[in-house]
Amino acid sequence: MPPESVLPEPQWKDAELLDALLIPALQGNFPRDSAAFVRIDTSLRVYWHTLFDICPQLLELSGPDGLAIFRPFMAWAAQQQLSMNWAVYLWLCRWLQQSEFAARVDEELVFTLMAASVARWATGDRSADCGIVLSAAGHGDLLVGWKCHTPDGGRAIERVGLATPLPEPDEQFGYFTLPDFALDRFDGWQAVPR
Amino acid sequence: MRIGFNFTLGSTMGLVQRLIRERRIDYCELLIDNFLQVPPAQLAAAFDCPLGFHIMFSKFLESDVDYLEAMAERLHRHIEALQPLYVSDHIARFNHGGRQLYHLAEIDYDSEYRHVRDRVEYWQARLGQRLHLENYPSLLGGGRAAPEFFARLIRDTGAGLLFDVSNAICAQRNGVIAAEAWLPLIEAATHFHIAGYRESILAPKLTLDTHDAPLADDTLEFLARYRTHFDKPGATLTYERDDRFDEAEIDRDLAALRAIFPRLDDREHADAA
Repeated sequence: MPPESVLPEPQWKDAELLDALLIPALQGNFPRDSAAFVRIDTSLRVYWHTLFDICPQLLELSGPDGLAIFRPFMAWAAQQQLSMNWAVYLWLCRWLQQSEFAARVDEELVFTLMAASVARWATGDRSADCGIVLSAAGHGDLLVGWKCHTPDGGRAIERVGLATPLPEPDEQFGYFTLPDFALDRFDGWQAVPR
Repeated sequence: MRIGFNFTLGSTMGLVQRLIRERRIDYCELLIDNFLQVPPAQLAAAFDCPLGFHIMFSKFLESDVDYLEAMAERLHRHIEALQPLYVSDHIARFNHGGRQLYHLAEIDYDSEYRHVRDRVEYWQARLGQRLHLENYPSLLGGGRAAPEFFARLIRDTGAGLLFDVSNAICAQRNGVIAAEAWLPLIEAATHFHIAGYRESILAPKLTLDTHDAPLADDTLEFLARYRTHFDKPGATLTYERDDRFDEAEIDRDLAALRAIFPRLDDREHADAA
């Protein structure tokens, strides 16, 4: 937690600001004209861009600065101790569906958030797995993310409808990973990580 | 001095291939953990130049051993097959309290030395390779202890410093520590990074290592002033660009670097003339 008394500027260390780097409400504990405040702002902006640059439809709900979603969601994420891993967009979806914006969360937004999640998995996961399959209960199609597998390629995202649908996940979202670049198996749904 | 360019994902393949073809670069640095699903033979065939490996998300200071063991095994396959010029990784904090920091944080150099040293020794042993560790672009005063920390770490572990010139210039511009404080370490280092930076949106302005802008005059001036500290047999300098791939701008920056570090054969021609 930030110290109660403000240290002279040159004494700040990143290590003393860590909580505030991902909790917007804590930024106010630091003087507005301090390097510490700006450093925290720099960190928080990356979370903002990770949400709103990838899913600009969220701005249609929140207004152009996104803060009506960003600040309460980040506070909730801290309370829930979300790891902010690839599933962050799915937790945002869950939060939206419990928020004042619930009535405006349509199927298109759900799939946008699912696509963002599998894309983040495909670029950030470092396991030997090659792909991920994500399903939302009541939403039919699957979202599939593939890691880069050619030198000039990148991650790839597909929305897939199966002729014979898989069983629905027990929870709102479920996923499984693929050890090869083939969508040829189903070992059951796993709950998305916090 | 070999000059290189970073390659993080396929969308810049055309640019990188042109830089290789036009001899604007001598090697390519792969953000290797983005390519662990690509067979090494395909990577070897795709680049008609030597390769460097930069590891981004091992998070070796924080990750559990099972994760690192699995990653090391896969990295090792690529290292064996592609024989990179160097393998580098980061001294930085990626998580806090089990939560991901999207903007990496600087470690606490005063309290974390023993842990970092032990992890560097472990990670080097698992990769079977000398690791070159990158300095952080310090934003706050804690970064003042960085050069001394790295000197001790390198002495104790045998690791190398991947000295990021612009990270040191960022720290200097942020009032943390003069870039000259790194000179003894630069003299001993072989592998270097350089990139553009931008100022923070809010004031008081901080200088941020953004990799999306042309090289700044102060960065190039530092490089030119201490050219002999950098230039040595086997030395590499990677120009990093992760956004705003303005090719004319990139060409100009690479030419500016080449003007500071002419190719040996270019120098021989100049001497002969």
